[in-house]
Amino acid sequence: MALPPSTVVNYIFPFMGLQFFSVYNISYMQQLMYRPLYWFGRGTSPALNPLISLASLPKYSKNNTVVTFTLKPYKWSNGESVTAQQVVFWMNILKVQKLGWAAYSPGGMPDDVKSVVANSPTKVTITLTGPTNPGWFTYNQLSQITPFPMAWDISATGQKAGSEACAKAPYAKVVVKTDKKNSKVTPVSPEAKSCEKVFEYLSRQSGFDPKNPKAPNNSLKTYATNPLWQIVDGPWHLTKFDSSGNVTMVPNPKYSGPVKPKIDKFVLLPFTSNAAEFNALVGGKIDVGYLPFEDVTSPAKSPLVPGKNHPRLEKDFNIDAWYGWGIYYIVPNFNSTGNGGQAGKIFKQLYFRQAFQLLINQPLYLEKLYKNYGTPTYGPVPVLPKNPFATKFAAQNPYSYNPKRAIDLLTSHGWKVEPKGVTNCIDAAKCGVPVGTKLQFSLPYAIGSAATKQMMEAEQASWQQAGIKVNLTVGSFNTVIGNAVPCTGKSCTWEMAFWGGWIYAPDFYPSGELLFQTGAGSNSGSYSDKKNDALIRDTNFGDATLAAWQNYLVTQLPVFWQPNAAAQITEIRKGLNGVVPQNPLQSINPEAWSFTK
Amino acid sequence: MTGYLARRVVQATFVVFGVTLLVFLLEHVIPGGAARAALGQRASQAQIEQFNELNGYDLPIWHQFLDYCRDLILHFNLGYSYKKNQGVAQLIEETLPKTLVLVGISTFLAVIVAVPLGVLQVVRRNKPIDYFLTGTAFIFYAMPAFLLGQLLILYFAIDLSWFSTEAPQSNSAWGVLSQPKDLVLPVLSLAAITIAAFSRYMRSSMMEALTEDYVRTAKAKGAGQRRVLYRHALRNALIPLITLLGLSLPAIVGGALITETVFNFPGMGLLTTQAAVNNDVPLLLGTTFVAALATVVGSLMADVLYAIADPRVRYA
Repeated sequence: MALPPSTVVNYIFPFMGLQFFSVYNISYMQQLMYRPLYWFGRGTSPALNPLISLASLPKYSKNNTVVTFTLKPYKWSNGESVTAQQVVFWMNILKVQKLGWAAYSPGGMPDDVKSVVANSPTKVTITLTGPTNPGWFTYNQLSQITPFPMAWDISATGQKAGSEACAKAPYAKVVVKTDKKNSKVTPVSPEAKSCEKVFEYLSRQSGFDPKNPKAPNNSLKTYATNPLWQIVDGPWHLTKFDSSGNVTMVPNPKYSGPVKPKIDKFVLLPFTSNAAEFNALVGGKIDVGYLPFEDVTSPAKSPLVPGKNHPRLEKDFNIDAWYGWGIYYIVPNFNSTGNGGQAGKIFKQLYFRQAFQLLINQPLYLEKLYKNYGTPTYGPVPVLPKNPFATKFAAQNPYSYNPKRAIDLLTSHGWKVEPKGVTNCIDAAKCGVPVGTKLQFSLPYAIGSAATKQMMEAEQASWQQAGIKVNLTVGSFNTVIGNAVPCTGKSCTWEMAFWGGWIYAPDFYPSGELLFQTGAGSNSGSYSDKKNDALIRDTNFGDATLAAWQNYLVTQLPVFWQPNAAAQITEIRKGLNGVVPQNPLQSINPEAWSFTK
Repeated sequence: MTGYLARRVVQATFVVFGVTLLVFLLEHVIPGGAARAALGQRASQAQIEQFNELNGYDLPIWHQFLDYCRDLILHFNLGYSYKKNQGVAQLIEETLPKTLVLVGISTFLAVIVAVPLGVLQVVRRNKPIDYFLTGTAFIFYAMPAFLLGQLLILYFAIDLSWFSTEAPQSNSAWGVLSQPKDLVLPVLSLAAITIAAFSRYMRSSMMEALTEDYVRTAKAKGAGQRRVLYRHALRNALIPLITLLGLSLPAIVGGALITETVFNFPGMGLLTTQAAVNNDVPLLLGTTFVAALATVVGSLMADVLYAIADPRVRYA
C-alpha cells in the first residue's frame, strides 16, 4: 500500500504528543497492532463500530456522571488477557502526562475524571466530575483509550513485566500536582512517579526522549525487533521497519478478534512524489495506491460514483473516492489590525461575512476543478461522508452563490461597491467601520494541488465582482499555519488564511470546542460568540444535541466554508476485496482484505 | 604550499561558521516558531510553552546558538528532528552515503565520458560527428531533469520493463550498491545532463589549449598529434574541469532533488527540501551545515588540485 508523498510512519508507542500525532502513525501502524478500546468508522460512516471494538458499548448513568463498560475476551499475543486494569494503566499514564498527549484539551480527560475503577477483570467504571454528553464523551474521550499490556509496565530494558508500580496502581493512588498557571503536571505519589518513568521509558523505546530530546537514540531502527513492541492485541505485528517508512507487517497468529487477516503480509511503501507513486502503480508495484488529482482524466459521475479510471490503470485497478471526516474553510482573523486596523472589525460584521461567502461558488469549483470528487462545506459538520450528525438545514446552503445578493448586502450596509476597483465605506454608521475603509485583504494559502491554486484564483476573481480585493500569496503549510495563530494587539496583523481545514480526529464528535469556542487553542481567527460558546458547552457537558449548535454556526459563518475535496482517489487492484468501503477516519483494516483467486 | 593550505582552512572555518549563524538566525524568524511547526495547529499555549522549555527555545537566542555550537563541536550532535523522530546526525549519516553513491557514480560516469567526448569533438571539429555531439549535448543540457527521468521510466521501465520504476529502496549505501539494475536509470538521468555540460566545457577548454604557445612549440619540436593532444593540451585543458569538479562537491553531497523525487530515492536533496518546507529547524541547520562544509571543502580541494596541476598557481 502506498503512503502519500513525503509521509512516513515514525512513532510506535500508542500514547504520543502532537509532534507524532498523524493518521499514518496511528491508523497505518499503531492501531493495526494495538487496538483502541473503541473503533470508529463503520462502512463509510464515522460512527462507532462495535464489532471490532475491544469493549461493549458504554453505559451512562447517574445523570451522565458515571460511565461503565465491559471488555470483550480479547488476548494479547503473549497469552495475557486484555483486562480492565489495563485500561486503568492507560488512564494512569494520562494522569501524569496530559500535556504530552496529543488529544488533551483543557476540561477534557483527565481533568473531568474523578475516578477510574477496575471493578472486575472485565468491567470498568469511570466517574466524572460533572455530567457529560454521552455522545461527546464516547466519541472524543473513550475513543482515545488504548489498553496497555502488563509487559509495558517497566522502566528499563530486561525488567520483568509489571516491575513498575503503574499498571497495577489504582487511579486514585496516582497523585499529581498541577500548576494552574501553565497546566504542568508534577507526579507526587510513588505510583505517579512510577508512571512517569514508564512513560519516559516507552517513549525512549519509540525514539523520543521526553526529558532530553537531543540525546542520541537509535530506537527507530529497533521497532521490528524490540520484544516490547511484539506484544500485540491487534491482527498484525511488525516484521520490518526502516526510518524511510518501509513497513512490513504479518498476521498475528494469536489474534483473538473477529476478523482474521487473510493476506500473507501488509507492506507500506513511502514515496517521494505523486509522480513516483503513479509510476509504481503503472509498473505494478503496489496493490493499493492513489491517483493524484492532476492525473484524473475523467470526472466523477457524482461524489460517490467515480468516473473512468486513468487509461494506464483501468486494466488493473478500480478507483474509489475516499472522503475524510473533516471540513474546509478560510479563516478570517477577527482580531486583525490589518487593513489600517479595520480588517478584524470588518470580519466582525455578519453582513460582510455573508457577502463574502455568497461569492464562493463551491459547486462550480467542485465540478470544474475537482472533477466532481468532492462536496461543498456549508457548516461545521461535513455533509459527506454520510453521518448521523449533519442536519438537513446544514446540507442546504443558506449562502449559495449569488453575486447580486452579495453586492446588495454591501450596498445596503453603507459601502460603495466598485467592481473594477476597491469597494469603500461611505456611511460609517451602516458599515460599522470608518468612512473610507476599503475592502482589501491579504490571503495567504498553503501550496497544494493545481486545483487548489485555480480555485483560489477563481475565488479572487469572484470577490472582485463586489469590489473586494483579495491579494493572494502562497506559502508552505507550516508557514501559513505558523502565521495564522490566535493573537491580539497591534502585532496581530494577519487578515485571512487558508491551509485546508480540520479533521475530526481524534475528536470524532464534530462539536467545535477545539475550533470555535472562545479562546480555544485551534480557534485561529479568535472567533468569539456567547451563544456559540453556550451551545458548545451544552453539547459537551449537557444534553443538547449537535443540531442547534450546528445550525447556528451555519448561519454565523465563523469561517468561510470551502469545498471539501476527496481526501484521496484510491486505486485498488482488481481482485483485491475488502478495501472498500473506506473508513472516513482514514483508518484501515487490511485484515479484511483478500484476493480473489 | 603549507601556508597556502593553512590560510584556506582558516577561511573555510569562518565561512562554515558564518553560514551556520546566518541559517540559525533566519530560522528564528519563521512564523509561529519551531513549536508550532512541530506541534501543528492543535497545540495549546501550555503545550507550546512546554515544548519551548524542553527544547531550550525559551532561552535567549545567543544562548541557544552557543548550546548548538557546543553540542556540534564536542559531540557532533546536530539536534533532533521531531518530524522524523530521529537525531539529525543519524539522519544525515543514513542519507548522505546513499546520495554519495547515486550522485558520485553519475558524476564519475560523466567525467569519464565527457572528457573523451570533448577531445573527440575537438579532433573532429566542424565535422558531422562534432555537430551531432554538440546538438545532442544541447538537447540534454536544455532538458529538465524531471522530464528526462520520466521519459526514461516510461520507455525503459514501463514499456520495455528492462528496469524498475524506482531507484534502489535500501536504507544503506551498500544496499543501494547491491541493486545495480535499479541504479541504472537514475544514474543515467543524472549523468546525461552532466555529460552534456562537462563535454561542452571540455571542448572549449581543449580548443583554447590547442591555440596556446606551448602546443605550437611542441608541434615545432616534432611531437606527434597524439602526443600534442594528450601530453600537452589535455593536461592543461583539464584544469577548468578540476574547478568544476571541486565546485560539484556541494551538489554531490546536497543531492539531486528532482531525480530523487522522480525515482523515489529519499536522498539529501529531499531531506533538505522537506526540512525547509516543514520548518524543521534542527534538520535544516544540519543539512545546511553539511552543504556549507561540502562547499568549502570542494572549493579547497579545487584550489589544491589546481595548484598541483598548474605550478604557476603554486609559485604565485
